Amino acid sequence: MGVLVRAVLLCFVGSVLGIAGNALSPHPARLGIPVHATAESNDAVCQDPRTSVARISVEEAKPLCIACTAAFVDARSAQEYAAGHITGAVHLAPGQPAGPLLPKLSAAPTVIVYDRDRDCAAADQIAVLLKSNGVRDVRVLTGAWPEWLAGGGPGESGTCSLCAEGRQ
Amino acid sequence: MMARVFAVCRVVLGALFIWAAVTKLPDIAAFAQDVANYRVIPAALVPIVAAAVVGIELLAGIALVIGVMDRPAAAVLAVLLAAFIALLAQALLRGIDLRCGCFGGDERASWWTVVRDLVMLAAAVAVARGPLPARTNVTNPA
Repeated sequence: MGVLVRAVLLCFVGSVLGIAGNALSPHPARLGIPVHATAESNDAVCQDPRTSVARISVEEAKPLCIACTAAFVDARSAQEYAAGHITGAVHLAPGQPAGPLLPKLSAAPTVIVYDRDRDCAAADQIAVLLKSNGVRDVRVLTGAWPEWLAGGGPGESGTCSLCAEGRQ
Repeated sequence: MMARVFAVCRVVLGALFIWAAVTKLPDIAAFAQDVANYRVIPAALVPIVAAAVVGIELLAGIALVIGVMDRPAAAVLAVLLAAFIALLAQALLRGIDLRCGCFGGDERASWWTVVRDLVMLAAAVAVARGPLPARTNVTNPA
């Protein structure tokens, strides 16, 4: 029996095994029900059960932004940040050093991180990074930037001057 | 010497895929969501694809570790890894921000993930091809 035939056989048996394993899983995928991307689903907003980072809704975050009682961190790309971001937010994308921004963020009573997608993967990564660097109250904005815009939250455009100073 | 290198590649690759499958098994629903977030597979097929991938990873991983049907298993994993790389690359190029769904955690997809998969792909292809036969000296009978 050739390698190809055995490979196909292995795929078939593996698929059957996977579907059987799914039935025994504590959290199985529901086979008959379509699963849409989080970003395309209006009711699934950054609610990944695997993350330990606290969440905050747009309705809760807006008053904190207006009263300047929370620091906002934009985890999208620099271009997206420049095109428009939450008023007063600093820019910190995955892969960039958090060090220069830590004094400002550590001094804030609450730090709210957001990114571009309702999946919030980048925001979660930045939130974990900030927490590991001693920032105490870090939350991720549910619904991300699209929800903030839709909710009429205050925004501005331009580059991050504080970030540029800190990274020089 | 080369046979030992291939054996190490085979066992390490197999163990990695067993680990990948075992970490997904407790929450296949979350893995299905990760698969959906790549925005390539039709929503109706996502749950069955997610379950099938976990089973294939587990079976192929076991086959590699115990050395039974190791070349077909490596070929299957090479195809899977090529698919993962294509999915990751298209998501990153489209600016989709997502978790990679790699080892059941909440690791974010990045170009580093692509590089890691490329290394595993190279190992899978090497195991699928098998060690090259030793050169034999052919003497001219004339």
